[in-house]
Amino acid sequence: MRHAVGTGDPGRVQVLVIGSGAGGAVTALELARSGLDVCVLEQGSRWDLGDYGHGSVDAMRRLYRGRGMTPILGPVPIGYVEGACVGGSTEINSGFWHRTPREVLLRYKAQFDLQHASADELAPHFASAEELLDVGPHDGPLPKSTEVFARGVRAMGWAAQEVPRAAPGCQSTNACATGCPTGAKQGMSRAVIPAAKAAGARLVSDCSVRLLLAHRNRITGVLAELSRDGGRRDLVRIDADHVFVCGGPTEGPALLRRSGIKHHVGDSLRVHPMLKVAAQFPERIDAHESVLPLLQVKEFWPEISLGGAFFTLGHLGLVLSENWNETSRHMSRYRNMASYYVAVRGSGRGSVRPSLLGDGAPVVRYELSDEDTMNLSKGLARLATLLLAAGATHVHPTVQNLPTIRSEVEAVRWLDERLPRSALSLTTVHAFSSCPIGERRDRCAADSFGKVHRYENLYVNDASMLPDSPGVNPQASVMALARRNAIHFRESLR
Amino acid sequence: MRSAKSQRFILGAAGLLGSALFVGLAMRRLDFASVLATWRDARPMPWLLFAVIAYSAGHFVRGQRLRVLVRRDAILHLSTATNVVVVGYASNNVLPARLGEFVRAGMLAERTGMPLSQSLTITLIERLLDGVAILGLLVVGTLSLGIHAGWIWSVARLGALVFGAALAGLFVAIAFPGAVLSVASRLSARLGPKSRDRALSLATGVTTAGASLRRPRDAMAIGGYSVIVWLLEALMFACVLPVFGMKLALASSLVTMSVTNLGILVPSSPGFIGSFHFFCAQALMSQGVPGATAMGYALVVHLAFFVPVTLWGAGAILWYGIQVGATAALAQAAKALPRPATVDGIPMNVIARLEASPASTRAPSAFERSLTETFVASDPMPPDPAAIDAAATFLAEQIDALPGRLRFLYSVGMAVFRVWVRVTQRRSFCVLSVDRRRAVLYPWAFGRITHLRQLFRPVRSTVLLAYYEGERVARTVAPLATIHLPPTLDRHEARRGHG
Repeated sequence: MRHAVGTGDPGRVQVLVIGSGAGGAVTALELARSGLDVCVLEQGSRWDLGDYGHGSVDAMRRLYRGRGMTPILGPVPIGYVEGACVGGSTEINSGFWHRTPREVLLRYKAQFDLQHASADELAPHFASAEELLDVGPHDGPLPKSTEVFARGVRAMGWAAQEVPRAAPGCQSTNACATGCPTGAKQGMSRAVIPAAKAAGARLVSDCSVRLLLAHRNRITGVLAELSRDGGRRDLVRIDADHVFVCGGPTEGPALLRRSGIKHHVGDSLRVHPMLKVAAQFPERIDAHESVLPLLQVKEFWPEISLGGAFFTLGHLGLVLSENWNETSRHMSRYRNMASYYVAVRGSGRGSVRPSLLGDGAPVVRYELSDEDTMNLSKGLARLATLLLAAGATHVHPTVQNLPTIRSEVEAVRWLDERLPRSALSLTTVHAFSSCPIGERRDRCAADSFGKVHRYENLYVNDASMLPDSPGVNPQASVMALARRNAIHFRESLR
Repeated sequence: MRSAKSQRFILGAAGLLGSALFVGLAMRRLDFASVLATWRDARPMPWLLFAVIAYSAGHFVRGQRLRVLVRRDAILHLSTATNVVVVGYASNNVLPARLGEFVRAGMLAERTGMPLSQSLTITLIERLLDGVAILGLLVVGTLSLGIHAGWIWSVARLGALVFGAALAGLFVAIAFPGAVLSVASRLSARLGPKSRDRALSLATGVTTAGASLRRPRDAMAIGGYSVIVWLLEALMFACVLPVFGMKLALASSLVTMSVTNLGILVPSSPGFIGSFHFFCAQALMSQGVPGATAMGYALVVHLAFFVPVTLWGAGAILWYGIQVGATAALAQAAKALPRPATVDGIPMNVIARLEASPASTRAPSAFERSLTETFVASDPMPPDPAAIDAAATFLAEQIDALPGRLRFLYSVGMAVFRVWVRVTQRRSFCVLSVDRRRAVLYPWAFGRITHLRQLFRPVRSTVLLAYYEGERVARTVAPLATIHLPPTLDRHEARRGHG
């Protein structure tokens, strides 16, 4: 049943969802299943499985926002990537699945007065998403890169877990970051968008929303650039009764601010800064031929997490590039190497602003805090200790002028000393909290269910709504909260 | 609201009145017998021919400038672009109140398929650049001649004010297109959907029209062409001086040409009759030329200005088989926005056509290839030239994809690096041996100065990623490695197979 609620004007869309990532796809699915007329606008292109898994260079051209050249600016620049294709970042992530920890949800309640988001209240939403994505443990034998990591974990006696993934039947093609070519990983384009379309949702790709058109306290529609065949582009206006902004933690707030909606929008970005290392072992690891390491050390959570990173020959070159004049000779040993990371919760704060010059693309800044630096230093010490205890002979961190750590004594130095900030070469794939939700109007851009303050029909429903850093891979948190908000929206219409 | 017919009548009447005023001013206290005497003594050949050639050459340069301005949206042959310009000039010669500018914009829209708002903006940009170039030449000419006529400086000040404000507006539209669109949206929010669409269409047309000026190389070319156009026009003015026994002097002509062209910005009758003669004669008289000679000169320059281009324009109109009215109608049809459309069943309104997406790939420069080669040369394996080319291409694309301000900083940083290499090595980076390049590059890329290291961070990481992702390089480094891409699995088969 279409047009159950709304103006019923055939020239208007009832619900417009901007973005098709973890937030947008779930929103579209839930609302389409309710019989609402849903249209999804995706800035990126639509790709088939045959287009996936062709290496990092090809993936950066096709699947990554700004070809992967979207650094976060600040005193310590951070390399940041996110997806820009149908399915968003879920097409290029590892599929790791963490329910939002109870402690984090309690923090959201205490600091942002986020209502109806306790662990019990979110449990059915997590369960629904887990069923949809077939979340579970890795099916086959653990890859060698995980085995050696587990050896280190045992040697250190630390708490660790094998992280469940949304990748049933994973064949260890080592292509998570370039789009899973087998279709085992359940990105949104594989698992959710087809279901949303089957329920009646429509999707337009290559459609970049430039502005939300507001009249008083209502959004009347959007202004978008639509790319057509043959390179032609049109500026189009799409009228809508309700608009969900699900463009991700950087594009979403940039769009809102370009449209004049600025109340606590883009002021409180959080990230999980990550420091990578390449570890060299005496035995063959062949990390380039297997799925990334599946264990994560939780002993030091929530401040510090240790885990495994995507590994190819090219990515090894990238990790070693910080001290290339000293580390390049290790490239030939790459069959004996694997990549790991230390990630910190991120207590610094960032901002997202549309650039004044040019087309208003997001300018993202983050101020790495002293606490972040301290946690990264301690994390590196612990990760290096773990890897050396596991038998690694060399640990190469992405720290300038620190090409190699060879002994546990060298490693533990960083428990007491801080890595020089100017020497850090950081990356992140987790950004959020740029439009926090909650009842605290002095801190939040939207209410507990994502309705943007001061607007009757505008919602945020993606990673930007997380009030604060979750300390874990955010996909599950985003999907659960997005489903909860969509259901609440549907019920509020009735 | 007045009808179009009455608007045209008012414009025409105002133009004629303006002309009558300037004719009166020009003829005031003029000794017609002396003017006739100067005409009798004039020696038109070969100088008049040279003047016409110089003026015609200026139109080809205008055509070339127009080609660069529309390059992102349309491919115009030089002949077509020149004819578009000439039709505009010819129309100004036969229509009052500079209506030829609209004809020119209409023909441009018809020839390129661009919306009229965009082609009008391009015409406006051309006129703005003309104004700035003329002002610059006026200042140069006046200073070099040491002219102290206060009214010339008043004209210059007024021109600077008008063109300075317009230039500032153009800069805002070019540099801040997103902000212009946002402001237009907000200002028009209460006017209703149709007016809002028109406002957004206009704003988009303006920001799109100036796209060429965002590329420094094109902006410099367009600015350069603008100066050449008016130097050639000054040459036309100079070539007429010997007709009346005066010395061929470019500086004097710069002043006369500039004052005349600023003067005819005032809407007047067709062909700028009256205003052209008044300002031309006044400019010459301020340099000590007698009034009768100055008026005789003005009449001849006007003929050189009027007759050839009007005939050329008429020929072009016939050649393209169009009429002035038909051009306007075609432009209107090209505009025809906003219009409703449906894409994948979703209703939308097309508001404006945007410039085509820029090409996503480009060939790397020699410098980018040299950088790439230098970084991968550390590899103990012999470098693979094909992989170096591929990595250099990827580097070029990735640098182009950087956010604007970082790309700018990167360009500045690399320019400084190249100058430093040139100064210290006395040769360019590209011609140094790989070992020498490495010796020069590494203190920057891996040295102790954080900002220099950060400058090279995107280069080294991009290059190394792309180089080692290359299949042939991977095989060289690890000949036993095999990469299998398993067949696509149905999701449920996958679960059954591994469950």
